Amino acid sequence: MSAPTEYYVVLSAILFGLGAIGVITRRSAILVFLSVELMLNAANLAMVAYARHWSLTGGSHALQGQGAAFIVLAIAAAEVAVGLGILIAIFRNRVSTDVDELTEVRA
Amino acid sequence: MVTFFLMAAFAVAGGILVVTARQPIHAALALVVTLLAVAVAYVTLDAHFLAAIQVIVYAGAVMVLFLFVIMLLNVERQSPTARWRWLRPSAYGFGLLALVAVAIVVVNQRQAGPTPTQVSEVLQGGSAERIGTVLFSDYLLAFHLVAVLLLTGIIGAVSLVQRAGRPDESAGPATVPAASEVETA
Repeated sequence: MSAPTEYYVVLSAILFGLGAIGVITRRSAILVFLSVELMLNAANLAMVAYARHWSLTGGSHALQGQGAAFIVLAIAAAEVAVGLGILIAIFRNRVSTDVDELTEVRA
Repeated sequence: MVTFFLMAAFAVAGGILVVTARQPIHAALALVVTLLAVAVAYVTLDAHFLAAIQVIVYAGAVMVLFLFVIMLLNVERQSPTARWRWLRPSAYGFGLLALVAVAIVVVNQRQAGPTPTQVSEVLQGGSAERIGTVLFSDYLLAFHLVAVLLLTGIIGAVSLVQRAGRPDESAGPATVPAASEVETA
């Protein structure tokens, strides 16, 4: 007996809320990034859960939720590469990644 | 059911540690726990290919990248004091509020899902073949855009991380041996 869909969606909401709290309260930019990853995973979990929930009515499109999760995963990987590159560039110019101190856009 | 609750406990514990851990390394390792728990959830949701990709790409490649950057930047311990005293409790309050709202909506609107045997007939375990069919038909445009995005990401990451071109460093082959000598010395 597998768990019903609501359980997965509530778990996804918990993870998303934790990630959002992390984005707000964390000060180091790397930890903000980690929290964003948590939120992306929570969204993916909800999509896969609903893909299973609506799989019977979907017909040949039943796996669209999983396909969307796959695309989100690829985008997250690209985002991490670019984001961490930006972080390293920021860290070279000013020896801190505290998001409170990074109030200017100019280098 | 037991699998779900075990997995959920691991995922939530990892998530809480991600938000609260003082050491950045601990937060990153806690995120690995959460990612692996989510991979288990994918298996229970008949998404086997996504589970494998989650472990390989997320828990493998992305987290290695994170750990490298954390070690490279030598992020110091975080001081727990926030800039505004009301920020932390209000963040927790709003997070809890959103969670309760989502839970109420989801539980009120719940409908009986399909039975596991029906699901595995349709989804066929979310195999790579089925996901590939979806990606190359319904998501063809998105698939191509992701390809362009990944290329842009590679070029962007390389051009961001390389040293800002100082004219004396990138002048020509005459200075290159000197630079390598400095490194080996």
